[in-house]
Amino acid sequence: MKANQSVLVIGGGIAGIQASLDLANRGLKVYLVEKTPSIGGRMAQLDKTFPTMDCSICILAPKMIECFRQPNLTILTYSEVQEVSGSAGNFTVKILKKPRFINVEKCTGCGVCAQHCPVEVPNEFDMGIGVRKAIYVPFPQAVPLKYTIDEEHCLKCGLCQRMCQAEAVDLNQKPEVAHLNVDAIIVATGFELFDAQRRSEYGYGKYKNVLISLEFERLLSASGPTGGHLLRLSDGRIPKRIAFIQCVGSRSLKGGVSFCSSACCMYATKEAILIREHIPECEVYIFYNELKVFGKGYQDFVTGAQTHWGVKYIRALPGEVVQDSKTGDLTLWYEDTIENVTRSIEVDVVVLCPALIPRAANKEVGVILGLELDEHGFFKPKDPLFAPVDTNVLGVFICGYCQSPKDIPESVAEASAAAARAAEVIALSASKEVH
Amino acid sequence: MVAEPKIVAFLCNWCAYAGADLAGVSRIGYPPNIRVIRVMCSGRVDPVFVIRAFEMGADGVLVGGCHPGTCHYVSGNLEAEKRMANTKKLLKLIGLGPERLRLEWISASEGGKFAQVVTEFTEDLRKIGPNLLKAQVNVKAPIPYTKQMISDAVKKTNVQYCLECGKCSGSCPISKVNDTYSPRRVVERSLLGFEEKVLSGTDIWTCLTCFLCSERCPSDVRFPEFVRACRRMAPMEVMEELCAHRGIPMALSRMMINPKIKQDRMGWLPEGAEISKRGDMLYFVGCIPYLDVVFEDFNLELLKIPKSVVKILNKVGIKPAMLSNEKCCGHDMLWTGDLENFEKLAKKNVADFKKTRATKLVTACPECYRTLKKDYAEVLGNFDFEVLHISELLSELVDKGELKFDGGLSTKVVYHDPCRLGRHMGVYEPPRKVITSIPGVGLLEMARNRENAICCGVSSFMSCNKYSKEVRMDRLREAKATGADLLVTTCPKCQIHWKCLTSEKPPISPEMVTMEMRDLSVLVAEAMH
Repeated sequence: MKANQSVLVIGGGIAGIQASLDLANRGLKVYLVEKTPSIGGRMAQLDKTFPTMDCSICILAPKMIECFRQPNLTILTYSEVQEVSGSAGNFTVKILKKPRFINVEKCTGCGVCAQHCPVEVPNEFDMGIGVRKAIYVPFPQAVPLKYTIDEEHCLKCGLCQRMCQAEAVDLNQKPEVAHLNVDAIIVATGFELFDAQRRSEYGYGKYKNVLISLEFERLLSASGPTGGHLLRLSDGRIPKRIAFIQCVGSRSLKGGVSFCSSACCMYATKEAILIREHIPECEVYIFYNELKVFGKGYQDFVTGAQTHWGVKYIRALPGEVVQDSKTGDLTLWYEDTIENVTRSIEVDVVVLCPALIPRAANKEVGVILGLELDEHGFFKPKDPLFAPVDTNVLGVFICGYCQSPKDIPESVAEASAAAARAAEVIALSASKEVH
Repeated sequence: MVAEPKIVAFLCNWCAYAGADLAGVSRIGYPPNIRVIRVMCSGRVDPVFVIRAFEMGADGVLVGGCHPGTCHYVSGNLEAEKRMANTKKLLKLIGLGPERLRLEWISASEGGKFAQVVTEFTEDLRKIGPNLLKAQVNVKAPIPYTKQMISDAVKKTNVQYCLECGKCSGSCPISKVNDTYSPRRVVERSLLGFEEKVLSGTDIWTCLTCFLCSERCPSDVRFPEFVRACRRMAPMEVMEELCAHRGIPMALSRMMINPKIKQDRMGWLPEGAEISKRGDMLYFVGCIPYLDVVFEDFNLELLKIPKSVVKILNKVGIKPAMLSNEKCCGHDMLWTGDLENFEKLAKKNVADFKKTRATKLVTACPECYRTLKKDYAEVLGNFDFEVLHISELLSELVDKGELKFDGGLSTKVVYHDPCRLGRHMGVYEPPRKVITSIPGVGLLEMARNRENAICCGVSSFMSCNKYSKEVRMDRLREAKATGADLLVTTCPKCQIHWKCLTSEKPPISPEMVTMEMRDLSVLVAEAMH
C-alpha cells in the first residue's frame, strides 16, 4: 500500500463537501481547499432548497460539521492552489494559505473582536446588502468557526487584539505555503452570477428595487440582512407585488451566454412560493420563456405553485423595467405571448434570474492543472456521455456546476461519482495500474 | 428638333377650370401643350404633385385658382399661394428653376386670360428649355417576391432563431401604445408561412427601425433589417399611403439620381466661409437645404447646422471639400425598400467623392453617417473612405485640446441619442464629451439613454400617425422632466419630428410639445463665438 492514499478537493461547496466526505468516510485522506474563509459555498446562501423546501443551511451544516470532525479530512480554508505538478498517483501541490491574521488554534469563535471592530464593509455573503466588520466570520454556521481579518479594509487599529481574551489576533501573520502529495485531484469550483447590469434595460444597479435572485434569497433568509423579513430595500415597505424575470443573460446569442442554467425556473418557483408564505397578500408573477422543470417531482412543484400557491406565470420576457423615481415603484413592459397583447404592470420589486456562469477563475485553475475548458468556461469532461467526471488529465476529476449547469441533487450525485473515480486511482496506483 | 414643352395644369373647379372651359367654348386658341387636371380648389395642390409632375417629365406646372377673396372655399387659394411659394424654393434648389412653376388667378369668366397665360407660359418654357430630368424616371418598382427571397432574408437576419419570448414587443415604443402591433407576431407569421400577409400588410411599415428590439433580443434577431428586406418585396400602394408629407423628400432624392441634375444648393454658405472643390476632408451636408424649405413653418433654422459645421471646421483650420451638386445619401430609399435607386445614388456619390480626392467624409446627420459608413460598403462591395460624424471629430479635438471656447454658455442640456448614431453605430460618448467640454454647460441624462434611448418616433417619414405622436410626446415629456433648458441632439430629423407635434390638429397645448432644441454643432458654434 502506498503511503499517500490522499485526494485534493478544490472547492468547498456542496459538491466538494460531498466528494470529500465520500472519500474520507472510506478511509482515504482528503485535503479540502476553499478560497473563502468557510466551506459551504452557494448552498449556504440559500434559504430553502427545491423541490423539498428543506432549510438549506439546516441540511448543509451537518455535512460541514462532519467535514470538520472527520479525522481523515483536512479543511484548508482561505487557501488557494498555486501549482500542481506530477501525474496521477503522484501529484505535488503547492497551496498558499492566505493570512487570516488570526491564530486558528487559539480562536474560539466568540465574536467579541467583531463587536468592537470599527470598520463596516458590504457583506459578500449577503451579496453586498448587509454589512460585516473587517474582522468577521462569513455566516453564523461557518466551518471552521474562526474569525478572519480582511486585510484590504483592516485599519490595523488593534482593538480586536486588545479585546480578544484568547489572544488569537496576530496582525503580523504571514502567508504560508503548504506542499502536499496527493494521488488524485477533484475540481468543484461551482459558479458565479452573470453581471445583470449588462442587461441595462432592467435597471439593475440603477434601481434600488431591482434585485438579482441571490440577493433576494438573502432577504428571504432568517440569517440575512433583514432577518428574513421581506421588505423593499428602497423604503422598507412590505411589497404587494413582486415580479421575477427569467433568463437574464442566458439562452442568448448575444449579450449573454447561450446555455440554460438549468436551476432558475425551479428556484424562481421556490422563491415565489416563499414569498406567498411570508406575505399571503403579495402577488407574485414569474415572467418566463420556457419552464425547464424536468427533474423528479419538479413539474408537480411548479403546478403546485400555480394551483395551490397562486403564483402567476406569464409567458413573456419583459422588454424593460422603468422606475418612478419618486416612489421607487417599478413598471414592467411585456408582450403576453399567449394573449397577444403588449402591456405594462406595476410592481414593487423585480427579481432578476441571471445566468449562472462558470467562474472566471476557472481559467487559472485550468492552467495550473492543465485542464481544457470549453468556450463558456466550463471544464471539459473527457467524454460528455461516458466519462463525464473525467478530464483530459489522468487523475484529475471534475464535478458540480463547474462541469455543466445542474442543481443540488445532480451536484451531489456527480460529486460521489468523482470521489469513486478518485478512489479508483488510489486503488489502482496501489497495484501500479493506472487507467 | 426641340420637343414641345409639356405643361401639367392643376385648375380649380370653380374658377380656373371654368375659365379654361370658357376659353374652349369661346374658341380662343391656345397651344396644345397643356394637360389639365381638375381639382376642387387650388389649395388642394400639394407641393408633391408639382414635384412628381417634374419627376415624371413635365417641363412646366401651372396652378390656376380663384382670385384672392373669391375662393369658393374662402381661403384655399391663399393656402395655394403659400405652398407654391414654398415649392418654388424647392425647384430652385433642385436646379429646375422656379420659373417652371406658375401660379395664376383665373376667374370663371376669364377665358381670354387663361389662353394668354398658357400661350406665354409655353413660350417661356421653350426659351428655358426642356426639363432635363425627364430622361430618367426612377420610381421604385416592387420586386415580386419569391419564397427563396423571404428565406434568404430570414437567414440573413437571424429570424429563424426567434424564441417567441416577446422581449421585442415589450421594448418596442410603438407596441406599447398600439398593442395590435407586435414585432414578434410579424416574425411568427413570416416563419409560419403567412409571408403574403406580412408583405401586403401595414405592420412592416409601422416599424421605426430604431433597433431597440434587436438590441435586446437574446437571439440576435435583427428585426429592422428583416423589415427592410420585406419592404423591398412589398406593394408600393401601401407604402405611398402611409408615407408622411406625401413623400416629397424621397421624390427630390430620386430626382438627384438623374445624370442631368444640376442643383443650386449652396446658397446657405455664409460670406467668408472657406471651402474647396478638393480636399482631404469632405463635408457631406445631406438634405438639410431641402428639409429647411419643406419644413419652413417650423422655424427650426436648420440651415444653422451646416453653417455651424463649416464655421467650426474653418476655426480648427480645416478647409473642407464640398460638393455643389451633392446627392442625397439615399437613406430613406434604402429603408423603404428601394434598393435599385439606392445603389444608383450611392454609385453617383462615390464617383463625386473620388473627384474631390477626399479620404475622410464628415457629416452632421446620423442617417447620412450610418448610410455612408455602413450601408455603402455593404451594398457597393468596397468603400475606401473614412466616415466620421461631426461629434466624433469634435470629440477628438477635445481630447487633443484643440477645441477652444471663447465664452461658453450657462445652461443645462439634456442629450438625446438618435437611433442611427446610437444603437445603429454605437456612438454614445463623443457627443457627451463635446457637450461637457463647453464651459458652463451642464449635461443631464434621461433615464432611457444610450442603448436604451427611445426613438424620436418617426423613421424615413413612414408611419407618422397617432401612435407615433404618443411616442414623440412621451420622449419630449421625458426630456422636460430632467429639468434641462435645452434638448440637444445630433439629428436634424429628430428635431423636425418633434417640432411637427406643434402642427397637429387639434392643437396640443404648447407646454406639452415644445422644448427648446439645439443641434450639437449649433451649440458648439455658439459657444465658440
